[in-house]
Order: sequence, then structure tokens, then C-alpha cells
Amino acid sequence: MKNWSFTIIALVIGFMIAIQFQTVQEPVIRDTRDEWQLREDLLKEKELQSKLIKEIQSNEEKIAMYETERAQGKEQVLRETLEELKMEAGLTPITGPGIILTVEPDFAEIVLGQPVVSVSPELLQRLLNELNKYEAKYISIDGNRIINTTTIRDINNETTIDGQPITEIPFEVKVITENMTKAGKLHNRMQVSKSVEEFFIDNLRVKVSNPIQEVTIPAYENKIQVRFMEPIKADKGGS
Amino acid sequence: MWLPFMGLVIGIFLGLLTEIRIPEEYSNYLSIAVLAALDTLFGGIRAQLQNIYDEKVFVSGFFFNIILAASLAFLGVHLGVDLYLAAVFAFGVRLFQNIAVIRRLLLTKWSNKQEKIEKN
Repeated sequence: MKNWSFTIIALVIGFMIAIQFQTVQEPVIRDTRDEWQLREDLLKEKELQSKLIKEIQSNEEKIAMYETERAQGKEQVLRETLEELKMEAGLTPITGPGIILTVEPDFAEIVLGQPVVSVSPELLQRLLNELNKYEAKYISIDGNRIINTTTIRDINNETTIDGQPITEIPFEVKVITENMTKAGKLHNRMQVSKSVEEFFIDNLRVKVSNPIQEVTIPAYENKIQVRFMEPIKADKGGS
Repeated sequence: MWLPFMGLVIGIFLGLLTEIRIPEEYSNYLSIAVLAALDTLFGGIRAQLQNIYDEKVFVSGFFFNIILAASLAFLGVHLGVDLYLAAVFAFGVRLFQNIAVIRRLLLTKWSNKQEKIEKN
């Protein structure tokens, strides 16, 4: 009696071994098709291919349709507005017509023995005011974008812009204006500007470049902190 | 004694006749299950030779070992660790030990018989 279970289990084991053996010993199927059969198979595959290509085309058409739908939607308008606001706030790099002012040491003065220390923040502030007065749109000093909340201060005898010290002289002040004519005007005005002349006090000289078609100003790198502004909460039942 | 052996032969015969093939992904599980089954089989033979055979232990061991081995392999595949190697190792070692014990038992039986024949 006890042998029965043993026998059944042996049977199951035999069965499993046989199946495993068959699975591992996958017979090699020889390719015995002749030329015409091969041609037929090729034709079938080509039909499949053209079908698939058609499918891809229709899918791509659908994608294009969705894209146009999306572009015309409200979301896109919002997105564009956001992008405009970002540009206004100075969070995107900008390329446009403008001029480049290069502040460099005046070697004629250095010979006299006075070392060039640095450019004072007051001078830069004055220059900025003047540039803004003459319709500069976007300004960067030494690669630092100037935005509404930019601070120009003296920290430990180093002039800093938003905490970034200006260490190297010469440095460049890049200015972008609305168009080439305005860039030309700005150029002319800076040639005779009073603030530029005042750089001589610090033994510096400002070289004003001719209007350039493409000046690139980097984006503002730090985070803009809004400390005292809050959005207005709409009242109930009205705005 | 010959009945289990007959069962094994019939099982293999049936398996070859049915032409069942397991998909590639699962052949791993089947191989480990076969190993576990073989281990149980030889364990059973040894137990019978040592006269400590218990049907409940044998049958439960058969199914439990197979399920354990397959689930270890399954877990290994899903964890990315080749856990089935643990099962292969464990069952392989036990297989060898069992076969060694069976061989010794058979040898002592055989030599006992020889002695008896000589005495007679």
C-alpha cells in the first residue's frame, strides 16, 4: 500500500523530467522554403510594414491635431503670459540690440602711483540711473542681471551686486534697448554723459562701444524674494 | 520495489508522448521543481532503505519542496537576486548526500549477503 504514493510521485517526477527535457531540447527547425515561398513571405512582411507605416502616419496626424488644439487653447495663452512676465522680471536671458560699456583702469592715472581699488557703488548707481533715463531696457553689470530689486552695495570694501562682488576690472556693462535707433541714441548720449566722466575720480575709464545688433544679457540667477507683497484675496460674491 | 521505477518510466514515456512544452520564461521554475522532486525521491528511497520511511513526510516533503523552490526562484526573479541558486545549491548538496547514503546502505547489504553465502 505504501508503495502507491511512491509510485504516483515517481510518475509525476518522470512527467516533469520529460517536459523539461523537451523544453530544453527545442528542435532546430530547418528552413526548407523555396524561392517562391520566400517571395510570398517577403510580400506578406512588406504588406505588414506598409500597414504599420500607415498606422504611424495616422497617429502622427493625431498628434499634430492635438498640438494645434492645445496651441489655441487657454492654457497656451496663460503660458505665454507667464513667459512674458518672466521676461519682464528678468528670469530669462535676453538678446537684442544695444551697447556694451567697458569699465577699465585708466593707465595714465596709474602711472602716478595711485592703485586702482575698485569701482564705488555710488558710481554704478549713477550710471544705472542715467542708462535707465536714456531708455535702456535690460542691463547687466559684470554678468549680473540688474532687476528691480537688485542691490549695489559696498560690503567690506568690495562693491557687490546682489551679493556678488565685482573683483575684476575691466568689466562690462551690457545694455539692451528697444531697437537699433534707440541703441544709437544711447550710444551718443553715453559719449557725452556726465556719469561716465565721473568714473575718472576712481581712476577708471568707460569705453562706449558702437551699437551692436546682438547683445546677450544673462538671466537673473538668484531667487526673487517677495517679502511684503501678498496676493489680494477675492471677497465672496465679488472681486 | 519495482513499482516506483515503473512509475518513473511510465511518467517519462507519457511526458514525451504529450509533446507539452513550457514557455522559455517558466523553464527556470520547472527545472528547479524537477531538482526538488529528485531530491525528495532520493530522500524517500534512502528512508525506505533505512526503514524510517513515513508516507506523510514523503508526500508533504515532495509538494512543499517543489513549491518552496519555485517560489524562491520567483522571488529571486522579482528581486533581481539569483535566489534560485540557493535552491540549486541546497538540493544539489542533499541529492549527493542522499545518494552517498543509499550507496553505502546498498554496499553493506551486498557484503552482508556475500558473507552469508560464504558462511553457508
